[in-house]
Amino acid sequence: MQRALRSNNRFDLIILSSCVVLAFAARALPNTMRDPMATGMRRTFLAPLVMLQERAERGRQSLLSADAKQSYLDSLSLSSANAGSLESENDRLRKLIGLGARIRYGFIPAEALHGRGVRDETTVILSAGSRAGVSRLSPVVAPEGLVGVVDQVDPTMSHAMLWTHPDFRVSAMSPDGTAFGIAQAHLTSDIGGYLIELRGVPFRATLKPGAMIISSGWGGVWPRGIPIGTVLQEIKTTEGWARTYLLRPAVNPADAYSVMILRRDRLAKGFEGVWESATQVDQAAQRIVVSGDSAAKAAALAEAAARRAVLDSVARSNGGAALGANPADTSAAARAARAAAAARPTPRPAPVDTTNRVRRDTTPRDTIRRDSVRTDTVPMRPEAHR
Amino acid sequence: MNVGGAIRAIISFLIFVVLHYTLRPLLGWRAPMDFLILALLLASVRVRPATAAVIGFVLGLISDSLAPDALGAGAIAMTVVGFGASYLKAVFFADNLVLNAFFFFLGKWVFDILYFVGEQRVHGIELLQQLLLWSPLSAAVTAAVGVLLLFLMRPLLEPTPA
Repeated sequence: MQRALRSNNRFDLIILSSCVVLAFAARALPNTMRDPMATGMRRTFLAPLVMLQERAERGRQSLLSADAKQSYLDSLSLSSANAGSLESENDRLRKLIGLGARIRYGFIPAEALHGRGVRDETTVILSAGSRAGVSRLSPVVAPEGLVGVVDQVDPTMSHAMLWTHPDFRVSAMSPDGTAFGIAQAHLTSDIGGYLIELRGVPFRATLKPGAMIISSGWGGVWPRGIPIGTVLQEIKTTEGWARTYLLRPAVNPADAYSVMILRRDRLAKGFEGVWESATQVDQAAQRIVVSGDSAAKAAALAEAAARRAVLDSVARSNGGAALGANPADTSAAARAARAAAAARPTPRPAPVDTTNRVRRDTTPRDTIRRDSVRTDTVPMRPEAHR
Repeated sequence: MNVGGAIRAIISFLIFVVLHYTLRPLLGWRAPMDFLILALLLASVRVRPATAAVIGFVLGLISDSLAPDALGAGAIAMTVVGFGASYLKAVFFADNLVLNAFFFFLGKWVFDILYFVGEQRVHGIELLQQLLLWSPLSAAVTAAVGVLLLFLMRPLLEPTPA
């Protein structure tokens, strides 16, 4: 029994010694042999364990970096939000530079500082004052159009009344001069947002939705040609003698951060071509619409005239009265006309000049242009009668 | 040990090995628990010292293969720890959790001492700091986890009644 135990102990010690010797041998291996051996084990029977460890390490890294990743995502979201505002600001500034290049001189660039008070929708502080050449009633514009007018001037800053102010008025017109009116803020807007009313438009002058409205230059404050807005719709008012239109403003006051103040001495030189591109596009669209209407009307009138001419010729050749002449009419003029027709020899049917007739008929007698002359509003001078 | 007990012991051994390569790197503690030592100790008390030495040698090589610079150091340490645990099983492996915890603690600490001395990577104060601070901490954590796992895996580790 003791011999067997001693034999077992000897066997255990031999195995232990063998393992320790092998371990020391592995420890003593040079790197050139140690690395291939370790790599071989990792790539063969230890591969599943290595894979498990890698996944666990990756999971730990994911857990540890979760907060950092969240912070990074938050920062990225913030940056992207800022990038959007920077992009829009860049766009605004680029437009402003373009406007400055078109105005060339006589303007003062300024930053519009919006207030946070009750009246922040109607007034704004501008970062340029009298030292920069700003004076009272200087127009404030943006690349898109009209913004407001300076009402108070300090040496280093000024206070401007936006078009949303209840006291703000500007004389306005359509670019082709067919309609005039006074533009002011639409204070009770059911549609919502900032809108403009164009009041006092002559009743016979109609504006289609989408038509551009610009400043007319009357009154001496605003130069001619600054976009005010586009027509949305006509609104009903108690004034029966004039129309009132609702306009979508060219400039949203909440978006006006970089503006230009026009110097008073620059106004007299005019602003032809500065905002022309926008109005030209609008005018072109209007012309297309009007020409389309005229062409349809001209075709209808030409057809009716030709038909009437043929019928008249047929009636005369048959000895009857021309179409439109009523035999029952016993008035003196009618009788005289019938007698003259009877005494006159029957003429050969002359060729009908439909071209001239069509042209005459299609002359837009009731076009807006004639109404827009507004002769009834211009006082006639006494010497004109003489 | 009958066949059922051997299978249960092998399953427990594999569970500890898998935990060593999954839970340990996932937690990533500065004083980590050592599931390979727990597996070695639990296997060693069930086999002869020679077999325990072989198991320790193989486990040591496995752990060393992931750190080729120390190839052999872990094998030496685990061989000695396995053989010692199997040789002293009659002393330590009473059915007492505290004694088991002390057994795990001692096994891990001895392993670390042999490993770091044999590895010869750290020296001086750093070695002392490792052996007297971090290794005992790691051994304590290993002992705590070992006791917890013994408690949880009692049905798997208890010998089958004859």
